[in-house]
Amino acid sequence: MSRETSPIVGRLDWTVTPYTDLLREVNSSTIVGAGAASVLVLGAIAGVVLLTWKRWWAPLYRDWLTSADAKKIGIMYIALGLVMLARGIIEGFVMRAHQASALGTLAQPESGLVAPDHFAQLFSTHGTIMIFFVAMPLLIGLINFVLPQQLGARDMAFPVLNQISLGLTAVGAALVMISLLIGKFGTGGWTMYPPYTGIDFSPGEGVDYWLWAILISGVGSTLTGMNFAVTIFKERAPGMHFMRMPLFCWTSLCVAIMLIYAMPALTVSSGMLVLDRYLDFHFFTNDAGGNMMNYANIFWMFGHPEVYILILPAFGVFSEISSTFSGKRLYGYTSLVIASMSIAVISFTVWLHHFFTMGQSAGVNIAFGIATMIIGVPTGVKIYDWMATMWRGRVRITTPIVYLTGFFLLFVIGGLSGIILANPSIDYQVHNSTFLVAHFHNVIIPGVLYGMLAGIHYWFPKAFGYRLDETWGRRTAFLFVGGFVFTFLPLYVLGLMGMPRRSPTFQNPDFLPFMYIAAFGAVLMLCALAALIWTFWTSYRNRLSLAVPGGDPWNGATLEWSTPAPVPEWTFPRIPHVVARDDWGEAKRGEDPWKAPERYDDIEMPANTAHGLLIAGAAFAFAFAMVWHVWWLAILSFLALPGLLILRGMMVIEPRVISAAEVEEADRRFRHQVANLTPVTRADEETELNRGVPDVSEFAG
Amino acid sequence: MSRPNTGEIDPKDTARAEIRSYAIGFVASLLLTGGAFAVHLSGLSVSWKIALICAAALVQIVVHLRKFLHLSFSGEQSREDLLLVLFSVCLLAIMAGGTWYVMADLGERMHQSGMDGAPMHSMSAD
Ligand code: HEM
Ligand SMILES: [Cu+2]
Repeated sequence: MSRETSPIVGRLDWTVTPYTDLLREVNSSTIVGAGAASVLVLGAIAGVVLLTWKRWWAPLYRDWLTSADAKKIGIMYIALGLVMLARGIIEGFVMRAHQASALGTLAQPESGLVAPDHFAQLFSTHGTIMIFFVAMPLLIGLINFVLPQQLGARDMAFPVLNQISLGLTAVGAALVMISLLIGKFGTGGWTMYPPYTGIDFSPGEGVDYWLWAILISGVGSTLTGMNFAVTIFKERAPGMHFMRMPLFCWTSLCVAIMLIYAMPALTVSSGMLVLDRYLDFHFFTNDAGGNMMNYANIFWMFGHPEVYILILPAFGVFSEISSTFSGKRLYGYTSLVIASMSIAVISFTVWLHHFFTMGQSAGVNIAFGIATMIIGVPTGVKIYDWMATMWRGRVRITTPIVYLTGFFLLFVIGGLSGIILANPSIDYQVHNSTFLVAHFHNVIIPGVLYGMLAGIHYWFPKAFGYRLDETWGRRTAFLFVGGFVFTFLPLYVLGLMGMPRRSPTFQNPDFLPFMYIAAFGAVLMLCALAALIWTFWTSYRNRLSLAVPGGDPWNGATLEWSTPAPVPEWTFPRIPHVVARDDWGEAKRGEDPWKAPERYDDIEMPANTAHGLLIAGAAFAFAFAMVWHVWWLAILSFLALPGLLILRGMMVIEPRVISAAEVEEADRRFRHQVANLTPVTRADEETELNRGVPDVSEFAG
Repeated sequence: MSRPNTGEIDPKDTARAEIRSYAIGFVASLLLTGGAFAVHLSGLSVSWKIALICAAALVQIVVHLRKFLHLSFSGEQSREDLLLVLFSVCLLAIMAGGTWYVMADLGERMHQSGMDGAPMHSMSAD
């Protein structure tokens, strides 16, 4: 690694692509690498061609990229998350395929599909992508879309800041993506522990890609947290007291608080590692007074709250759907609120369970082990609450309910294996084995992934005006459940048999049958991904018969179901006056819930702006330049950031005003349409009869 | 400026008063930062230096919260503001205290302790 740094292009040259690796040596590993890069290049070209051919560039720019509407920003977050999910699942499959062919011998330990270094890049990108660029965008996107609508607000408190957050998250994702084509990604796992990731042992660009992706998207997430918190505190509709907020808003509040307090720890640990790598600091080096154990300490101060940041929105989704699809009021609202808040606070007190084995004394381990077991209690409370919500309800087995059932069955197993791991003496035996890999996938997939997919299915009609196909939705859900079972339950056994995690090879032939089962599970996961894409596609093609212009396809109880589908830009023609928890459900019990407001006013909406795009562009240029040591570009793009902020600060920006007449026209059309659509009973919910106007006489929830 | 949480205009709160409040905050922050440097350059004993710099830092935090973040313990928002401060202090205490607890224990087991029992971070630097 003694490449020269050119003053113009830094360390970039023609040898950094996977194609040059392929030319140097043709084997399965370099073929996989070049193939992945080609998918990226071809995908980008296909995207550009499609946009040009359909003449979508202008609408894309006008209606989406420059929009400051939280609902659109939410949808873009989710699109980003789903694209990255595809890459993450494919990488998971490649890793499983590799390990299924990786039985080595003591004489010749290396075998299998990809080279050991390539395998290390795979688990590092897979972990990084799945946590930061799948789970986070999905949940932040869902909250962006749903939260203002449930609170009775028109938008987030800071719409342009919201746009910037999205831009910064996308920059992080783009950095990870571009590392497929230009250079290599780090090999230190998603946690990137030093001293291995210090400059002495990882001198290349890989760790820097990770660091800048994390630092930049981390700032985006911190800002998002503040945005959510201020929105919940300041933008609630009149009458929407805290104890009237839907549970999804409560879990969003917990997420916001945790983002604000946890993300800075990640920024600090990554920032210190940047100083170590670029400026010769010694925070985490072996020598000169460094202390690498402090990295693990600070990282997990972020890392553990992070896993609850991931899971709490899913808990919010499950609260909404368990109530809606069993036609019952949510059981134990107050206990769910208290449990969510307790989780948010307790999750800041357990971080040490991620490094029980680092060498501290038993007393310290016991303290954190006990705290870890305590956090299981509020989670358990929640599971019982949801089951009680469904108890004796007339549960409709829609796609979200399939996910919820999968969650009930599987998440409890994952939670229990977590309680087992919370015991330090057991953790000493199984840490760093695939038992741990099984545990965290066992909570993350049934929890976060199922929760987000259920939420997407549930709120999709609100965003696009038509339901997703239920048959294919359920098939997808079953495939994700089955795929999970086959891929990850064998890893518990493998872990107990002694298979280490992150290992490119093994020598024990007894492991092989389990590896084959896991690889079969990964095939099912790929099928699930294909089925998910097919669900979107087939629903898009049948969008006319699936259309629900009435806007309330599931006979819901919360405010967002009172508006048309797709929901207009201004969301509510007038800000509602909330009189009860589940206000829309309350309206259904009274007389005509679809009564028009007496009066319409002009509505102010944030004007479109390219500010977020420009900031993101500068941030990307800065990060890329830092990774490749292109100093002139780094300096220029870094100066551009405050420059852009100051420029916007000095401009007079007028909001966009939507005239009362326009709102009235659209709203009257909607009310008229609702009055003319036939209400649908719950039994017919999945048929074409469902036009989004439910039979309110059936509403009991 | 409008009253917090209402959107109603507060007649007492003029632009002048607001700028004044920011200016006071700015000058106070400058003085406290400059003061910390002055203490460092002065001939005081080390423990006095540390105590004074810590005190200046804490006062600086209060100044920022009051003058820039408009935190107040009287008026409509006092309860929310108080909760916010208490919650932040609680979490920071958990993080800082926890780090101290964990890292000191590790340091002790690595026989890294300095004379005062705290982990010593500059073993081989010089
Ligand atoms: C969908 C199918 C998935 C498959 C087949 C899969 C497979 C794998 C494999 C084989 C590993 C490496 C295990 C080892 O170190 O031995 C891994 C690691 C990991 N996975 Fe997944 N995974 C999947 C989904 C997910 C999801 C949805 C998430 C999170 C949202 C996730 C997060 C992680 C993380 C954080 C790691 C640890 C990376 C590291 O070691 O640094 N995975 N996964
Ligand atoms: Cu944890």
